[in-house]
Amino acid sequence: MTDSPTPAQMDIQDGKPSGARRISLVWLVPLIALIVSLSIAYQNYANQGTLIEISFENASGIKPEETEIKYKDVTIGRVEDVEFAEGLTEVLVHARIDQSVAPYLDQDASFWVVRPDVSVRGISGLDTVLSGVYIEGSWNQEPDVQQFEFTGLETPPITRVDDKGTQITLRTSDGSSLTAGAPILHKGIQVGFLDTPQLTRDGQSVTVTAFIEEPYDSRMTTNTRFWDTSGFSVSLGAGGIALNVSSIASLIEGGIAFDTIVSGGEPVRDGDIFDLFEGEEVARNSLFNDPDLPVLELAILFDGSVNGLAAGAEVRFRGVRVGTVTNLSAVAVEDRVTGPLVQLRTIIAIEPGRMGLAEDATPEDALILISDMVRTANLRARLVTGNILSGALNVELFEDPEAERAFVNLGAQPFPVLPTTENAISDVGDEAQTVLDRVNDLPVEELMASAIDLMDSLDQVVRSEGVSQAPDEIVALLQDTRNIIGSEDIQAIPSELRAIVTELNDIVGDAGEANIVGRVSDVIDTAGAAVANIDLATQNLPALTEEIAALVAKANALEIEALITEATATLNQIDQFMATEALQAAPEALVGLVDEARGLIASDDLQAIPTDLRSVVAQIDGILATLAEADVATQLTSAINAANAAAASIETAATDLPAITAELNELAGKANDLDLEGLVGATTATLDSINALIGADETQDLPGTLTVALDQMALFLAEVREGGAITNVNAALASAADAASAIEVAAESLPALSARATALVNQTDTVLKSYGERSRFNAETLSTLRDIQEAADAVSSLARAIQRNPNSLLTGR
Amino acid sequence: MGSIGQSHASTGLITAREAGLVACRRCGQVHALGTQNCTRCHGALQSRDAQSLQKVWAWLIAGIVLFIPANIYPMLLTNTLIERSDSTIIGGVVELIHYKSYGIALIVFVASIMIPIGKFIAIAYLAISVQQQSILNMHQRHKLYDFVEFIGRWSMIDVFVVAILSALVQLNTIASINPGIAALSFALSVIFTMFSAQSFDPRLIWDADRKNR
Repeated sequence: MTDSPTPAQMDIQDGKPSGARRISLVWLVPLIALIVSLSIAYQNYANQGTLIEISFENASGIKPEETEIKYKDVTIGRVEDVEFAEGLTEVLVHARIDQSVAPYLDQDASFWVVRPDVSVRGISGLDTVLSGVYIEGSWNQEPDVQQFEFTGLETPPITRVDDKGTQITLRTSDGSSLTAGAPILHKGIQVGFLDTPQLTRDGQSVTVTAFIEEPYDSRMTTNTRFWDTSGFSVSLGAGGIALNVSSIASLIEGGIAFDTIVSGGEPVRDGDIFDLFEGEEVARNSLFNDPDLPVLELAILFDGSVNGLAAGAEVRFRGVRVGTVTNLSAVAVEDRVTGPLVQLRTIIAIEPGRMGLAEDATPEDALILISDMVRTANLRARLVTGNILSGALNVELFEDPEAERAFVNLGAQPFPVLPTTENAISDVGDEAQTVLDRVNDLPVEELMASAIDLMDSLDQVVRSEGVSQAPDEIVALLQDTRNIIGSEDIQAIPSELRAIVTELNDIVGDAGEANIVGRVSDVIDTAGAAVANIDLATQNLPALTEEIAALVAKANALEIEALITEATATLNQIDQFMATEALQAAPEALVGLVDEARGLIASDDLQAIPTDLRSVVAQIDGILATLAEADVATQLTSAINAANAAAASIETAATDLPAITAELNELAGKANDLDLEGLVGATTATLDSINALIGADETQDLPGTLTVALDQMALFLAEVREGGAITNVNAALASAADAASAIEVAAESLPALSARATALVNQTDTVLKSYGERSRFNAETLSTLRDIQEAADAVSSLARAIQRNPNSLLTGR
Repeated sequence: MGSIGQSHASTGLITAREAGLVACRRCGQVHALGTQNCTRCHGALQSRDAQSLQKVWAWLIAGIVLFIPANIYPMLLTNTLIERSDSTIIGGVVELIHYKSYGIALIVFVASIMIPIGKFIAIAYLAISVQQQSILNMHQRHKLYDFVEFIGRWSMIDVFVVAILSALVQLNTIASINPGIAALSFALSVIFTMFSAQSFDPRLIWDADRKNR
């Protein structure tokens, strides 16, 4: 039975150890998944960045999870949350900052919101119109104690912490022309800018921090002078008319220029304080008038009016400037004789070095010198004419040989008082008036009376004797006399004078009707050339003035009274002679005598006087007409007021000016060459006209009108600066930012963006038109904004396409 | 509830295991219990997969673990000219509802949220039910298992959307879409739960049913 096959034994093995007790390898999978998940979570947490808090007054445009924090234009963080501080006073912006940057956020870190901004210096932050605002930060490169709470700035700081340069403080009495960010120019190049001007604690002055960039800050020394170049200035001084214009930006925003004219001086350190002068000339003069040098201050009590004297006027000694008028004030003085009276006290500051004393002379030395000179050389103070046209006065220290003995009142308070002498104010108007007065005072009536007497005598002679053969001649004689007196020439003089005055009034009136709204840029284009011409023209003015003065002196010196008196005397003598019996007894000589008398009265010389007067008046009229044609006054004002044409006219007019002055010179020279009678007449008429011109209220008001016009200009520009236009553009751009953010909200609102951008462009267009059509600034801004509009349109259409057919992304259509 | 099971029992229906047999799961050849390899296809023979439940739980836990980052982290990183946004799965659903695309929102919600979570619950329930008393009878549980296996792949719809969008929308600076961490997590989570469902040996349902009877 053993061969019978037995079924093969089932190959049964023990199963592997029970599955329940064995751990499957699959368990590694959830383990790894857990580890990976946790590590991702940890990494995310670790990379999250440091949470900081920035407080802002206003969080316009800041959006949680979206607004970025940037440093040097690189994104270093993101706003997480925006909430109100307790009491709703501020907005707290919570942001996460990159781990690598966070340690640098220390005490000096500052944050501000970058928004689109349009100013005269350019457009900034335009990219934020599309991308939305972002927060920019600035700090130095050294990590310090880390901070987590910051106060955001409302406006971008003028200087960044890491900007290199020098920060100085400028001090001025008037901050009206200074704005934050206004440029600082050096030789016409912008080298720095101003911070916000601030009133000092005592309210006496304005200080502003200025920042001069490297390497230009090395151009400054302690001898550097700063001056205000805001807008343009027209100054009428002893040197003539000067028109100064700086950059268009400084015209609107104000600006400051500096220069270091004198070598030497210490290098400037951070925080140094400088004075800000009102103009370049003042600034330059101040260099030679070092405020640090000790000065001798003296008081002068002038009798009568000091109209025309102003603080800053020069104090001269033998024609050389030795000091400055520093103050004018009225003081009540108790006089033992007359009771209380008000005197005008002029304070002058004399620089000892300029009085010939040694460099290190003290004011006391100068006082000793001056009091000695007062005692021994009769040194006196008097007022002299500084500028014949403006009537500005200077103080002169004059050695008057005829003065009575006087002393410096050393005991007077607050300063020693210098004695005065008669003022030497050579007022052209006054002198011309004097000449006219003398002409008026000429004994014409007496002359006529004598002539009438003579007639009576002659009548008697005629009656007494048979001289009827001469009635015709007597009638002719009387006719001639009447002709002279009633001659049209003489009659015409007053009316012509009046016409001239009217004409002058018109000219000056034209100047007064200033309508200052115009294209400033065009004026500025041509103003430079005009200034050069005006300058050239005014160089001739002093010479002209001198000649006129000489003419006046010569006219004054004429012995007209004597001449007329002599004529009168002669006539009287003739009268007496006629009355003598001897004459009456000589009727035969009568005819001849009458002939002679008639010849005398009708003499060419006498006849010539009115004619000459008239011709001179006509000549002056012609000159004034030339002036009127040249339209000097009108064009000066309209240059400021009007457009290209006006500006061009200034140039034309200015080109004519040298010719006019030359003509005037020529005229004055001609007048000097005239014969005696012509000279008298011409000078009188000329001076009368000049007097009328100078004395006319309108002429006197001309500088005032210019000032008013410029003030209005300044107001207009201030308005542009402060109020409206730029803020409007900013507001427009802010709304553009809103429009852009609308893109981010939903695709539906995208089409609206292009409409808003169009509106923005139109709005900006309108605003910018006021800057002048076709100006480069305008054109560039418009094209920039048009580009934005096109970009917005493109994005809009793309978004519209995606929105209309989102499947197309999937289906591939 | 137990009527059908009882009817089976009353008819004396027995399992292969009770009959001392084991079937090859690949080719269907029946062998005596204890045979190691299939005589026809040489596949390993197992009357019951002893490690089945371990694998089910392990894959299921891995899937659940990955499902968490898949919902926390962004699925899509969208960069356009004007903004950068990232949206999570549920955030995307909310956004779609906001734009009134209710249909798409529903699909995304069902495929990405409801199905994965339903699967977790279903697999966990099945795994527990073979160890403990169940309220569903054997047939219902088999139906549930089939449904879980069938529906699992549809969860990948979200992953495909992300993959296609990322590939299509790459317009440099103007617009670009990139997958986020969640996309990978989600894909892995779906894959793991599919593995989990496949690891489940439905025969355990019978055993549990018998044991409990």
